[in-house]
Amino acid sequence: MPEAAVQTEALSYVYGDAHVLALADVSLSLCCGEVVSIVGQNGSGKTTLVRHFNGLLRPTRGKVLIFGEDAAKRSVAELSQICGYVFQNPNHQIFCSTVREELAVGPHNFGFGAAREKKAVEQVAKELGLTDALGKHPMTLDYTTKKLVAIASVLVSHPKVLILDEPTDGLDEIGREKLSKVIEAYRKEGNTVVLISHDMDFVAMVSDRIVIMAAGKIVKDGSPQEVFSERGRLSGAHLAPPQITQLDFWLHATSELALTTDDFVSKHADKHLSNYVDVVSATS
Amino acid sequence: MSGIERIRAQTPIVELKNYTYLYRGSNSHALSHVTARIEKGDFVGVLGCNGAGKTTLCKSIAGILPYVVGGSWEGEIDVDGKSLQDSGGTHAVGLVGIVLQNAESQFTQPTVEDEIAFALCNFGYERTLMRQRVAFAAKACGLTTVLGRSPYQLSGGQQQRLAIACVLALQPQVMILDETTSQLDPEGRDEIFRLVGKMNQEGKTIIMAEHDVERLAEFASKLLVLDKGSLVAFAPTSDVLGNVELLLKHHVRVPQVTEAAFRLRSQLPSMRRLPIDLEEATAAFKVWKRGSVHA
Repeated sequence: MPEAAVQTEALSYVYGDAHVLALADVSLSLCCGEVVSIVGQNGSGKTTLVRHFNGLLRPTRGKVLIFGEDAAKRSVAELSQICGYVFQNPNHQIFCSTVREELAVGPHNFGFGAAREKKAVEQVAKELGLTDALGKHPMTLDYTTKKLVAIASVLVSHPKVLILDEPTDGLDEIGREKLSKVIEAYRKEGNTVVLISHDMDFVAMVSDRIVIMAAGKIVKDGSPQEVFSERGRLSGAHLAPPQITQLDFWLHATSELALTTDDFVSKHADKHLSNYVDVVSATS
Repeated sequence: MSGIERIRAQTPIVELKNYTYLYRGSNSHALSHVTARIEKGDFVGVLGCNGAGKTTLCKSIAGILPYVVGGSWEGEIDVDGKSLQDSGGTHAVGLVGIVLQNAESQFTQPTVEDEIAFALCNFGYERTLMRQRVAFAAKACGLTTVLGRSPYQLSGGQQQRLAIACVLALQPQVMILDETTSQLDPEGRDEIFRLVGKMNQEGKTIIMAEHDVERLAEFASKLLVLDKGSLVAFAPTSDVLGNVELLLKHHVRVPQVTEAAFRLRSQLPSMRRLPIDLEEATAAFKVWKRGSVHA
């Protein structure tokens, strides 16, 4: 059984001014080496939940454990070294006058030392294809590159838990491919990746597990196969499976669903040709 | 139809003639020799990677580039048969409305009602007409119940609908939406596409830059594809999406069902053209469904 990186125990949270119960008794365990997507409508509690992981929010009731230790005992600064959070809008996160400075903020604050800081910045820039942008002002960059800078500025400090809030919004195909490779590589190193996303195509492609939230509660927690099979629960949360999964569901409701176009093509590459021939010979 | 009416019907609402644009301080063209003719009532989806020139195209048609921001350009853009160059871009103001990506950053007023009235007020509309236009835009965008609220108290979808209402109140002939839905949840996206689709059915010309190709496949009558500032394709939606190899070469997403049918086309001999949405795909793959029953 892999080690639990983040656990919540009967976690509830009430926004003080609005007296709104944003989380209601949420118990969840996220393991090392796992990519978990948290999905649901706006206002379902996704962001409220993950903001407890790095201490930006503290529970009204219940508990958050980070690698088995009560998060209440740790400061936001300490928790941020373990749980790195990339905001949805890069403009809310970026503030330095060059990409190089922006990427160095985390390592500098966490006391990496000059040599290690420089190496870490250059390495993460290389991984995300940002080497040519290092000397540029972040606000002069296009939206995709800004998103990648925001991701790199958290990834550079190598948190054991990487939280990405709507990472694909506004990303083009090239950006999405780059991001999926980064997530896969990060997971392979034994880290935990938490995605908050409405992008079901991307969620289906990269996730080991999908958690659906609605009205502050977890309404489903399972593999992409299990979650996308329950179309009623998905539509209740105003979500739809990827288009290709819907087509596959219509074709073969009972067998294992294709989650990506590649899955669909390899699943149907040969076997239906013979079915087609059967139909032609039966009708001719 | 009279001769004059026929000529008018044939005049494109927007025409780019060998248009090239270079941002100030940049050494590569953001748009390069783009020629395209957009007819009245078209719904044009604009596709391309980031940096392909989608926003530059949108802002150029609205007259923001180069007339407000500067930069250098060649060629010409005509709106409703008149060159923007002749009026220094001001000719586009009443005819073309543009909604940008981040609605939140454009609000300045304390209430939704004031926000919709803001541009009308600046244009010097008479008070009764201003009230009528606010009521019309609020109704069209489903905002009548939130007129007294602060724009910042609205959901993401409502905020984007408010940004559209602010432009719609001016009753432009052309509505440009530049990645307006990218920060919305699926329900918010559906709201915007339904609204824009309805506006198009009522006669507005729509130009919509988007990454959501599956929704564009459903709503757009034509697609315009850009790559590194050059026009790669501009044709009816099914023709453009049917050219999967071209789109993939330019890193443009195609609907999943279109790509699947393209890759499995040798096994779908009765398929006349590639499906572009789920409904067409179920029809194209119907033979498999029958086949699986027989198998």
